[in-house]
Amino acid sequence: MKMPLTSLRASRWLPLCALLLTAVAGAARASVQTTQPPLRPIRIDLQDQAALRTGALYTLHLCVACHGIQGARYSELPPLLGLGKATFLKTIGSNGRHYHDTITSNMSTSLMMDFTHMAPLDLTEIAARRSPAWLYTYLTSFYVDPSRPTGANNVAFYNVAMPDVFAGMQGLQQPVMVNGLRFGSPARIAVGVRPLTAGSMSHAQFDATARDIVTFLYAVAHPHQQERMRLGPWIIGLFVVLSVLTYLIYRLYWARVITGTQRWWRVE
Amino acid sequence: MNDTPRSRPARVLDWFDRRLPLTALWRTQLSEYPAPKNFNVWYVFGSLALLVLVLQLATGLFLAIHYQPNPHLAYWSVVRSIQRDSRWGWLIRDMHVVGASAFFVLVYLHMYRGILYGSYKKPRELLWLIGIFIYLALAAEAFLGYLLPWGQMSYWGSAVVTNFVTAVPVIGKPIAQWLRGSFVIGLPTLNRFFVFHVFLMPMLLLALVLVHLIALHQVGSNNPDGVEIHDNLNETGWPRDGIPFHPYYTVKDLFAVSVFFVVFFWFVFYRPDGWGFLLDRLNYTPADILHTPSDIHPLWFFLPFYAMLRGVPDKLYGILAFAGSFVLLACLPLLDRNPVRSIRYRSPLYKLDLLAMPLSFLWLGWIAHGFATEHNMVYGLHVTEIFYASFLVLPFFNRPRSRAATVAWLIATEAVVGSIDLWMYSIHAHGWDLMLLTDWIPALYLLLLFGLALLRPAWTHDAARLPGRLTAGGVFH
Repeated sequence: MKMPLTSLRASRWLPLCALLLTAVAGAARASVQTTQPPLRPIRIDLQDQAALRTGALYTLHLCVACHGIQGARYSELPPLLGLGKATFLKTIGSNGRHYHDTITSNMSTSLMMDFTHMAPLDLTEIAARRSPAWLYTYLTSFYVDPSRPTGANNVAFYNVAMPDVFAGMQGLQQPVMVNGLRFGSPARIAVGVRPLTAGSMSHAQFDATARDIVTFLYAVAHPHQQERMRLGPWIIGLFVVLSVLTYLIYRLYWARVITGTQRWWRVE
Repeated sequence: MNDTPRSRPARVLDWFDRRLPLTALWRTQLSEYPAPKNFNVWYVFGSLALLVLVLQLATGLFLAIHYQPNPHLAYWSVVRSIQRDSRWGWLIRDMHVVGASAFFVLVYLHMYRGILYGSYKKPRELLWLIGIFIYLALAAEAFLGYLLPWGQMSYWGSAVVTNFVTAVPVIGKPIAQWLRGSFVIGLPTLNRFFVFHVFLMPMLLLALVLVHLIALHQVGSNNPDGVEIHDNLNETGWPRDGIPFHPYYTVKDLFAVSVFFVVFFWFVFYRPDGWGFLLDRLNYTPADILHTPSDIHPLWFFLPFYAMLRGVPDKLYGILAFAGSFVLLACLPLLDRNPVRSIRYRSPLYKLDLLAMPLSFLWLGWIAHGFATEHNMVYGLHVTEIFYASFLVLPFFNRPRSRAATVAWLIATEAVVGSIDLWMYSIHAHGWDLMLLTDWIPALYLLLLFGLALLRPAWTHDAARLPGRLTAGGVFH
């Protein structure tokens, strides 16, 4: 028995839908416009143990004065840095904490509330939420802003509460301002920095140090990144192979039902 | 009694069969359950959703072992105890996160399959309704689970949703306090959400899925042609267009499962947060009761409903608008009473309407993804009107309409949309300029639909002849 295929062809109604789509496409989504300063590009290498060690040294001795890294324990760091436990404790150390403790801030929260009116955010969560490029831009672009209580502001984070703790190493910086928008209103936006005074490090040295800190923070906030990259291809590959095999089994079974392009139940 | 000696496994099976109908169940539900022969790719999402349900239960079990439902411990129990201190905890947590979104993708596709091929029509109305209840239970399960990581978005998202109830006059506030167990989201809220998420809702979901399957096997599966295969039986009583579910569809579903897992595990290993869509970036920050985020949204699968809520400039009406969309879905068997089931044999303008349905839903999601600006609220309102219209015009296609009836439909629907807009003008809900610029969006859709029905009446005609038997069709359509 032959069945007339009465289905209406798609080609007859698709232009209609295209017309409707183009008619409403003019209505683009608007958002609260704020000029975004460009982020400084950065390449980090999680295998670079020298960078990780330098980053760990600065982070645990400088950042942890105020910030915690509560997601991580000191004991997680030696394998990450390629050091033995004894070497780690001798060179970088656990800030007087127990080796298996989580990395908490060395400052009490109430003191921090007095200093900056907020508890400093945990570095595990910041490094998980922000991209390496954002972290790098943030660390290297504090600038002098007399209108702020701490005297400092930041290109990546407008009106940041954190003071410019890098002034000694990096020297003071002044902003490069452009006309832009902040929440839809015209405003002067800082898009970069220029050196104002010299610090104890050259700019190249400080940028390299900042990159090492970002590398370390990223590695600590993404502890399973290397495991993901190692396991991922195998698991996905397994299911690709299974897809091929199950497709062949499916065709094998359905070969009795489908013969060529014609399905047998249409021909009686 | 049979005299021939039987093998030991057969005798063991006999022992069980006399006490539990194992073989009978296997036969009636799988190996001798007739399924239509022409299922296309749209028919794999149901069994995949079942697979994800099992996956969520299994991963959820391990997460619940290490999770602490206490505001002081919850955040770090997820980030540290589960993701770092427990072996493979990160993998199990990421599978649970990606699984939640995968569940919604599959359920949305499964529902749209039902709409495409008219699987809600007689005798499958109850099957469809049970499915809607599964969707509601799933939405509740996802909402309850979202509070548990105790991140900023968890906390403030739950605060927004539990505040919905306060829109109910007089008794709203006491009910909201009763739901939260407190004046704000706190320890009692987290405790009860945890218990509901790991105990009450999964039980309810499993029970509903079982009832859904029982109802499906009672009425039999629909198919892309909308032909009732049980109307055409051979001499032995087997449907001529039927094929045993096992092994034919079990091998097909195995293939679908393998392909699904390739995509699923790509997300689990490489993009567990799905660019901020599967796990909001703000949720990396622990909940802070003193710090309201500047922008609160739900996860992607609730965004369209959020746009409906924000689009209506009144809390109670906004909630009614988004709750109404669930009612519309449940009422689909009442709205579309055309005897032709499958979209293959429906009219071009009906197809246009069925395209407007998901497109307006996606557009609403995109709108809610943006900030709560006036612009986005006005667009939210107008696209909600299109989404509602795409359901409410379905009765127009129930039978051939005269020119006068078409004009009447055009005037009536435009009048409804127009009066909603007039109401917005009268309460000064939004600026005149923005309203004037956007009022045409739903009006144009209705004008296009009914105008074309007037100009080309043939475009409202369903296929003149329906197949009596299944046709081959394609993989996707």
